[in-house]
Amino acid sequence: MDVVALMPFPMVALALLLQAPAPTTVTIAVGQEPTRPIPTLLAGQANIDVAAQLFLPLAHVGPKLVTSGDKEFEPALARRWTRRDDRTLAFDLDPRARWHDGAPVTSADVVFTLARAKDAAVSPTTAPQLAEIESVTAEGDGRVVFRFRRAYGEQLYDAIHHVSILPAHLLAALPPADVERSAFMRQPVGSGPYRWVRQVPGELTELAAVPDFFLGRPGVERVIFRLAADPEARLNLLLSGAVDALDNVIPPLANLERVRAQPGLRVVAAPTTTLGFMLMNQQARGRGAPHPVLGDLRVRQALIRALDRETMVRAALGDFAKVPYGPVSQLLWIDDPSERPPPPDTALARRLLAEAGYRDADGDGVLERNGQPLRLGLMVPAPSALRRQLALVAQAQWRAVGVQADIEIAEVATYLDRRRRGDFDLDFSATTQDPTPSTLLQSWTCAGVGANNVASYCAPQVDSLLAAARFGRGDTRRAWRAVVRRIEADAPAVFLFATANASVLSRRLGDAALRPDSWWRDLYRWRVRPDGR
Amino acid sequence: MAAWLARRLATAALTLAVALTALFALMRAAPGDPLAQLTDDRPLPPEARDALRRRYGLDQPLPRQFLAFAAGALRGDLGVSIQYGRPVRDLLAERLGATLLLAGTALLVNATLGIWLGARQAFAAGSAIDAALGTLATASYALPPFVLAVLAAGLFGVRLGWFPAAGARDPLLAADTGALALVLDRLRHLALPALVLSASTLGGTMRQQRAALLDALGRPFVRAARARGLDERRVRWGHAWRASLVPVLTHFGLWLPALVTGSVFVEAVFAWPGIGELAAAATAARDYPLVMGAALLAGAGVVLGSVVAEWAARLADPRGADAP
Repeated sequence: MDVVALMPFPMVALALLLQAPAPTTVTIAVGQEPTRPIPTLLAGQANIDVAAQLFLPLAHVGPKLVTSGDKEFEPALARRWTRRDDRTLAFDLDPRARWHDGAPVTSADVVFTLARAKDAAVSPTTAPQLAEIESVTAEGDGRVVFRFRRAYGEQLYDAIHHVSILPAHLLAALPPADVERSAFMRQPVGSGPYRWVRQVPGELTELAAVPDFFLGRPGVERVIFRLAADPEARLNLLLSGAVDALDNVIPPLANLERVRAQPGLRVVAAPTTTLGFMLMNQQARGRGAPHPVLGDLRVRQALIRALDRETMVRAALGDFAKVPYGPVSQLLWIDDPSERPPPPDTALARRLLAEAGYRDADGDGVLERNGQPLRLGLMVPAPSALRRQLALVAQAQWRAVGVQADIEIAEVATYLDRRRRGDFDLDFSATTQDPTPSTLLQSWTCAGVGANNVASYCAPQVDSLLAAARFGRGDTRRAWRAVVRRIEADAPAVFLFATANASVLSRRLGDAALRPDSWWRDLYRWRVRPDGR
Repeated sequence: MAAWLARRLATAALTLAVALTALFALMRAAPGDPLAQLTDDRPLPPEARDALRRRYGLDQPLPRQFLAFAAGALRGDLGVSIQYGRPVRDLLAERLGATLLLAGTALLVNATLGIWLGARQAFAAGSAIDAALGTLATASYALPPFVLAVLAAGLFGVRLGWFPAAGARDPLLAADTGALALVLDRLRHLALPALVLSASTLGGTMRQQRAALLDALGRPFVRAARARGLDERRVRWGHAWRASLVPVLTHFGLWLPALVTGSVFVEAVFAWPGIGELAAAATAARDYPLVMGAALLAGAGVVLGSVVAEWAARLADPRGADAP
């Protein structure tokens, strides 16, 4: 045997051993580019998703997503919290928490962040959500004390949910208006399980694991958020194996069958806070007077009972949605599955319309009153294929009881503009609610008219019930349910679907789970199967 | 020539200014609020809304906003994107390379294959080859690019896996990957979008070239060349084809900028990080600075393209050189 001839083999083997293995990577397809993944700056799902990996809040909402009380929360930067009185909460920071540059996370960071977040000029979308926080003060480096304007059940939620903590030692010297154009914006430094690596504009954002992350070493060493704005492109990336995860396969359901046919992929139903409904304008277009048709409760109830909502939703979304009872998404903790929306009843719908004075005098199939046909515009945003599809079905079912609905498809900016001005009869809305039932305040109270309550629904009794629920003591679930029942009875909208996402994960990720309120938040706990590396 | 060029550039600048003024007015007349999508359409306190409007100069009267844009544009400053919070110039520069690569490839395919096929048709006018190529050109013309894109991505990207289904690069390539591997990776990702964009534009070039060449072949100077006993190959390519280039070059000159911004569907389906999709999203979001910046780029491309096309046409056919 020629020993010299064999020498290269151990050398090659040694070289292979010395070569660093490729990091375990998870690639996630996303539809939007994170443009400002910095807490306190403006919102948007892409920013929230990336910021959730980079920055930690004081605590997280727990798995049951209960936002009331002090118990159902998980520690993050704060290892514990104590209640001093019904308006004061103290948080003890975890001494192991570090910024990605090695500096410790201190109470000064929390005080600084909350001050920025409460400034409406700096953080316009967050500041209103922190209105009940009166002050935030430091007690030494390791403790912060939140003082609230009044006693209410969601103090802890308000303190921890709306904003994650920023590094004061890197940002305090920077005027707020300069943050957007700062080096920090291009290379954010956080305290989360992943640190920023790079962004290739229009293509991807790459993060790397922080090996000594104080809540546990991330199992996935590299995360890539890969941008594909078009849903078809995202699906193709998934089906071709170029990405490992997708938050939602959008309808038609045939897309889901394509995914299920791939043995390497796993479909996970992930309940969401998304709610779809057809708002019925209570005021005439242009405002100032009650809506001549929809101002009548009987007409609104007839429009609801004329629709077979269960069948409509099942046909469009399969098992990934249900018809909600009131404006309550699947994830809101006040949801009560035992309360079901009323079933379709076209005979009742016809009777209600007759009682409201509508007859088909000319026999054309459309009802009239005082010579005016019962004709309504149904505004739908152009990009939503789901809502366009459901609008067509609703149009046909309403036609069967003598109501003519004209579908008005509007591009997004026009849609939002008309919505804000109340320039619609029926508006096919979809909203992603916050996990708190206080989200109902924005759209279903008299105070919200002129802001988010674009359909001008105003019922003083609902306002009273809402105030009682929000500022009630103890278990407020029953009080919240009373609010929901009252809204449902007033029929201000056709509540059509509360969705679950058809999320998809590669099987190489084992039994990785998605957080319902923040899909990728627990990504650092995922593990890539040894045979999938 | 210098006087002609100066005159044409002045006209081009005026055209561009008129187009941008019209676009500015139209954008502001259209319904929509640039802050709505920026804030997820959440209600904002008045002071927050005012602060945002001040930040992006939306609180100023419209004439002042336009003058600020125009003055900035002359300095090369296109303002700050409302959606991205970054300079528009940087955003466009980041995407321009990908767009030029895609559009340039399609242009190259058209300028070679399209012209050659169109010429083959004209030389064999009335034959079976002409009919077959005519059908091909019509099919190319008739097929909407987004249909072709979806089909190509599904078949070659997903089902057969011959090419990447989307994207412009493999994000998993190691940082120390060699230049050759990077180029090959880029070419693999370019293949499908370039194929689709080329296929959907090839028919137009073929028809343009065929018509122009047929016209040239019937002109007296071609008959004269044949009468002088010149080789048929030289008559066709040296005389007729050269004369036919004038309308074809004009076609390209006007068409390239449209290709840059008009490949929106192809960019979307293949997640290609170009300017077209950026501009479309900016329009939907009423990101005024970004829309104006993209329009300035496209408009400058159109007017410069037409100047270059005219210049090239004058070179190809000097008879028009004295025309005003």
